[in-house]
Amino acid sequence: MNKSIFFFLLLAGFYGFGQNKNTGSVVLRFDNVAGNEDLVLKDKLYTNGAGESFNVSLFQYFVSNIKLQKADGKEYVLPQDESYFLVRESNPQSQVITIPNVPKGKYVGVSFVIGVDSLRNTKDISERKGTLDVGGEAKDMYWSWNSGYIHLKLEGTSPNIKVDSVRKSQRYAYHIGLFGGYNKPTLNNVRTAAIAFGGESVKVSKSDTPEIKIEADILRILNGPTTLSIVKNPSVMASPISQKVADNYVNLFQYKGVTRVAGTTAKSSSGDSGKTE
Amino acid sequence: MNLQKWGALLVLSVFICLSFRQVQEDLFVKPKHFPEPHYNFKENPLTEKGVQLGKALFFDAMLSKDNTISCGSCHQQSSGFTQHGHALSHGVDDLLTQRNSMPVQNMAWFPDFGWDGGVPHLDLFAISPIQKENEMGETLPNVLEKLRATEHYPKMFQEAFGDKSITTEHFLKAISQYMLTLVSANSAYDKYQNGNKAALNETELQGLAVFNQKCATCHSGELFSDFSHRNNGVKGEDGEDTGREAITLSDKDKYKFRVPSLRNVAVTFPYMHDGSIETLEEVLDHYTNLPVKSPYLDPVLKSGISLTDGEKKSVLAFLNALTDQDFLTNPRFAEPGADIVVASEFKGDWEKTDFGKLDIGVQKALLETLGKYISIKNALGEQDGKTSAVAAAEMQAAFKKVRKEALTPLQTSFFTKIGADLAFDIEHIQETNDYKHQLDHFKYVSVGLYKLVKAFKVKTEQPLLYVYCSEADRKKGGYWLNEQEKVLVNPYLGKKNKCSEVKERL
Repeated sequence: MNKSIFFFLLLAGFYGFGQNKNTGSVVLRFDNVAGNEDLVLKDKLYTNGAGESFNVSLFQYFVSNIKLQKADGKEYVLPQDESYFLVRESNPQSQVITIPNVPKGKYVGVSFVIGVDSLRNTKDISERKGTLDVGGEAKDMYWSWNSGYIHLKLEGTSPNIKVDSVRKSQRYAYHIGLFGGYNKPTLNNVRTAAIAFGGESVKVSKSDTPEIKIEADILRILNGPTTLSIVKNPSVMASPISQKVADNYVNLFQYKGVTRVAGTTAKSSSGDSGKTE
Repeated sequence: MNLQKWGALLVLSVFICLSFRQVQEDLFVKPKHFPEPHYNFKENPLTEKGVQLGKALFFDAMLSKDNTISCGSCHQQSSGFTQHGHALSHGVDDLLTQRNSMPVQNMAWFPDFGWDGGVPHLDLFAISPIQKENEMGETLPNVLEKLRATEHYPKMFQEAFGDKSITTEHFLKAISQYMLTLVSANSAYDKYQNGNKAALNETELQGLAVFNQKCATCHSGELFSDFSHRNNGVKGEDGEDTGREAITLSDKDKYKFRVPSLRNVAVTFPYMHDGSIETLEEVLDHYTNLPVKSPYLDPVLKSGISLTDGEKKSVLAFLNALTDQDFLTNPRFAEPGADIVVASEFKGDWEKTDFGKLDIGVQKALLETLGKYISIKNALGEQDGKTSAVAAAEMQAAFKKVRKEALTPLQTSFFTKIGADLAFDIEHIQETNDYKHQLDHFKYVSVGLYKLVKAFKVKTEQPLLYVYCSEADRKKGGYWLNEQEKVLVNPYLGKKNKCSEVKERL
């Protein structure tokens, strides 16, 4: 048996014991929307701040390095190796993240990296498993020619894009990556979302599993400090404007309330493989 | 467990450890005069099975979308693991690659990879060519699935990594293991560095001195590269490829590309990131005639490089002394199943050599090969890629009829030198129906066949002409063999094109 798996199981065993009294679970439920409407892939048109219509055919992002803030200022930090999740609009299961082994207490907020942090982006291939597997789950969230994960992807079409000899389709694609570079600095589009539970304090214990609803409003990617025109920027990838997109989407997420999950028993949603499904 | 058993176990485990180390040391030996490698071997210890697996993967076309192209297609051993004679290479669907295929050698010392240094770890590199749509056009998950569905690969992964469930990590590490064994450090220059002062002749030594004075600022150290990215005055045909700038997004990095290592440089032509310069002579001319007004040109080149004709000659001699025949012909690195004939390399001037009488059977086979070549040429003149592909398959079959046992040792040495490349290029003509792609290979087939026919004095029924057209191959010029004087068919530019100059009558 692989040594690290064995070690993990051993650790998981210990966690299992710890689970009994002093810990509980927290569920983060991500709901992707467009303004006041629920996000519907392909069939619906939305309007951005530049007054352009567009639909969305693909929307997905990494959520990583999750930290839960307690009322007393302390933090629960998810173990690094279990803290990489890929939320896909096309996959409802991926939108629910269960965090096990959370010390009991009252929590007032959550923070996470939108994307993959710089350090993990520089790691050896042996530390890129589960959701980070470039030959598996992360296949479409990785640039192989300019090594690095794509933090967030938004794709679709806009009827406002004029098709001509240069622009052959109405497609637009926002692939936001870049983490600062390995041996020479470049843009760093790693952003952290900090979400307060609206002044509420959320109780976590063995019998209290709160489900926190977090809304991701795609309009906030295009509207924010910079009002982005899809027509003028139909393709944003490794280019300077990606920074403006990231500066917009740092405000992508909003707290939308808490519900209690009845009769839940905590179970790892990430595990060794880090799978979110 | 009693003491005896413990003792036996201890001896056994020490033995296992030692033999494991032994294997690893054999697979990668740091040349005495080289610096410490950059690659961290502790992350991926080389094992015999791991290297074997990596080699199988490197030469397996299953890594591409339509199972036609392997890493080895564009990285051939005899050309220093570059693609023989190609400015750019052809990926799947006959798409052209963006840049010139780089040598795969001494990878353990490189801090980052590719012309723009966009990949900082050898283990992460292979994903890039596999997934580029104009290279292998495949996805990594698909490749892994294809490998899992085979009978042999799960077994090989089990043997190499103790796990038959083909993972991304093991796949990439296996390919790295093979690439890491590709160490070239036994050229005449290396022999000289390691104490054999007779290994370089006087001209080569003069060349080394000039090189150290005028080239070694960038091509420094035993790897002949400072591993930086610079603009050397080559901007590319349209200036669209901005090189390192695409990685760093910094205007200062515009048109910068890796300072390449110069080991085996004599066999890695054509040169530069876009393959725009064909010969080493022209490379030196490029540096003596730099466009010094270019705002992108590297500061160390701002005043150009001055070289007298004599200095150029000696530098060229020195660069040729960086060719490592052991590396280029080492069967350990060779494509599995490839017909590697480790014959003594022909080194003389072939035009002045008498190769003696040719075996009648060989004469017949070469004549038949020539006949099929003429069919390819005529089909290309009609821009009929289908017909030329068929003719190329026939040419390949005819060429295979050359019985090597019937050749004298001297003939064998020359035939080996020319024949391997010739067979490779013929094969590539038959693999596509795109006449433009075929022409890239036809150019080399023509030159190779001309040399064989002339050197071996192959008797033809009618006079054979060696013809040149300066406008062929995007004005780089190209030769072909033509069978009659009255009707010259220009295979490069079409039947009606009159661009032709008879260079020689055979």
